[in-house]
Amino acid sequence: MFLTRSEYDRGVNTFSPEGRLFQVEYAIEAIKLGSTAIGICTSEGVVLAVEKRITSTLMEPNTIEKIVEIDKHIGCAVSGLMADSRTMIDRARIECQNHWFTYNERMTVESCAQAVSNLAIQFGDSDDDGSAMSRPFGVAILFAGIDEKGPQLYHMDPSGTFVQFDAKAIGSGSEGAQQSLQEMYHRSMTLKEATTASLTILKQVMEEKLNSSNVEVMTMTPGEFFHMFSKEQVEEALNLVVPMEKSQGDLPAAAASKATANA
Amino acid sequence: MAMMNDSRPHYPDYSTAGAVQHSFNPYADNGGSVVAIAGDDFAVIGADTRLSTGFAIYTRNQKKLFKLTDKTILGCAGCWCDTLTLTRILNARMQMYEQEHNKTMSTTACSQMLSTMLYYKRFFPYYISNVLVGLDTEGKGCVYSYDPIGHCERSTYRAGGSAGALLQPLLDNQVGFKNMQGDAFEKVTKERAIAILKDVFISAAERDIYTGDSIVINLITKDGITEETFPLRKD
Amino acid sequence: MYNGVDQFTAKPFWHNGPAPGAIYNFPGTKTHGTNGSQRSQTPITTATSIVAMKFNGGVIIAGDILGSYGSLARFRNCPRVLKVNDNIILGAGGDYGDYQYVKDVIEQKIVDEECLDDGFKIKPKSMYCWLTRVMYNRRSKFDPFWNTFVVGGLQDGVPFLGSVDKLGTAFEDNAICTGYGAYMALPILRSALEANPSPTEEEARALIHKCMEVLFYRDARSFPKYQVAVINKDGTDIQGPLEIQQNWNLAHMIN
Repeated sequence: MFLTRSEYDRGVNTFSPEGRLFQVEYAIEAIKLGSTAIGICTSEGVVLAVEKRITSTLMEPNTIEKIVEIDKHIGCAVSGLMADSRTMIDRARIECQNHWFTYNERMTVESCAQAVSNLAIQFGDSDDDGSAMSRPFGVAILFAGIDEKGPQLYHMDPSGTFVQFDAKAIGSGSEGAQQSLQEMYHRSMTLKEATTASLTILKQVMEEKLNSSNVEVMTMTPGEFFHMFSKEQVEEALNLVVPMEKSQGDLPAAAASKATANA
Repeated sequence: MAMMNDSRPHYPDYSTAGAVQHSFNPYADNGGSVVAIAGDDFAVIGADTRLSTGFAIYTRNQKKLFKLTDKTILGCAGCWCDTLTLTRILNARMQMYEQEHNKTMSTTACSQMLSTMLYYKRFFPYYISNVLVGLDTEGKGCVYSYDPIGHCERSTYRAGGSAGALLQPLLDNQVGFKNMQGDAFEKVTKERAIAILKDVFISAAERDIYTGDSIVINLITKDGITEETFPLRKD
Repeated sequence: MYNGVDQFTAKPFWHNGPAPGAIYNFPGTKTHGTNGSQRSQTPITTATSIVAMKFNGGVIIAGDILGSYGSLARFRNCPRVLKVNDNIILGAGGDYGDYQYVKDVIEQKIVDEECLDDGFKIKPKSMYCWLTRVMYNRRSKFDPFWNTFVVGGLQDGVPFLGSVDKLGTAFEDNAICTGYGAYMALPILRSALEANPSPTEEEARALIHKCMEVLFYRDARSFPKYQVAVINKDGTDIQGPLEIQQNWNLAHMIN
């Protein structure tokens, strides 16, 4: 697949004869190695659910932070190179605060995505605006927010392209998850249903077993804005996952009995 | 003091006022007054049309109201060259906001942006009395007034400019029902607001040489902006 | 100014006449401040009023041709009304050196425009706006062009008349006079326009001549020779120096 690309995949600002920027495409590949994140937008609010890869039992799971607050009304889930994501989140936070400072109003989710997109494409040659970055960011972001247009979900990839979605999955399990989202999503979904659906799908695509310490859940609602689920709330949400799986008929008996015991 | 190292001989009996040293003053007081009154579902703003300097009238027909959006108007009095510059930059910022965020700026956003723009020139300020009026997101009339370095205050009525100090107590009495004995507060209507506005400008033109010629009145309601002019004394 | 004089010392014996060697009040004999400055903080060779008005189908601008050095009538042939292009005429008061500099810049702009050969000619409102920005930028650097400019022209056939001063204060009107003209000529023009809002070119010329005459008699820094720039549908035309017929017979009646 990559054999014919050798000449044109070095410089970030060199198009291939077919009109492609391979470094950007590779960056998009990079996020397919990242942990899975799912976002669903409902009329009641937006939910984000992210898998945390606990690679060692000695690891402190709380220190992996894949859902972050940008402003009270915007939250982000990231997948890909976490270090890169910090820079982008910083920018998003600064832009939101700047907007509030200048206009005394909350930045719209779209404007926030636009601002981060402007940063995402500042790779290539340096110019008057300062030195450029050597490579694209290897990060995909889901922006979940509330503004005057109501709850909204935006997805942005390393090319800086951002698109609004009703439901979107990113990361290693994104292909399968997106397929499941397509089947499960409907416009009249409640936030609770969406939370359960996102965890159900996450469970399907995750390699490890889903539990309250290897998943992060956040809801963005008009009343509460950014709300990160506590361990107890995650467990509560996970309990609802089981019956849905039961209906699909692929639930191991052991898991089902454990779930009923917890309830 | 500056003469200390002047070695020329000094004859006190012959000292004269000499050539007047022009020290350059980047500011001018071009006069003008702005009055704004807001109600529950409207806002009205008026500004006189006299542009002057000292005892000379530059023109009798200078509009000092600037439409920022269909719901927001800015009135400016003070240093006219600063007003010209500020309003041009404001218009550019309005357009940039519209294109960046795909929406028209709200009156509250305008008010905050104006405040930051003024403060960014804290050490070489725009010497302008700004009064911003409009309808807020709930459709309620609002008036924002500023000092030259960006202090911003929301109120329901304000007089600014050369006759500002003269007119504010009059508005306090007539619109705010302040400082009077035994009279109950009454909400001001559109018609009453415009009538008061005309009256206070007539009064200002009597006492303030920098206010006169005519006034331009803009009324903002949910249906849009209407404009009328009203003559004042021209001396 | 009266240094050496404090509250315990008697007032100078004579303090209204010129000091020895100071017959004229020369400008710029002192640098401003103590740390030396290259900025033009004061005008040197100056020109006085500009008188201008719109008439039916055009604009007229007049200014005398004296360059004053303080109170000294130093230069007697300083033209200061200018044809910018077929659309625009310009008059300038204030520092003559600054005017010559700005004139050079404007003429270069016109040459550059000519070189593009696209048939585009700058219009009066653009010229007026550009000048406003130039003047405001210089005042913001505390290095102003010490001038008042009057821009006249035809914008798509409609007469335009505007003025810009050293601060960047800009406004438009049907009649504009700068300097002492603002006090003495402008009232004449305003009352004439009130009586007849749309005068003919001949009426306007007569009015302007009248104003220049009044200014010559009353403004000590004026001169009996002046130029007139007129713009109408036939193009721009600069006339002069025109002479003001002086009559000082009245002076003999005063003792």
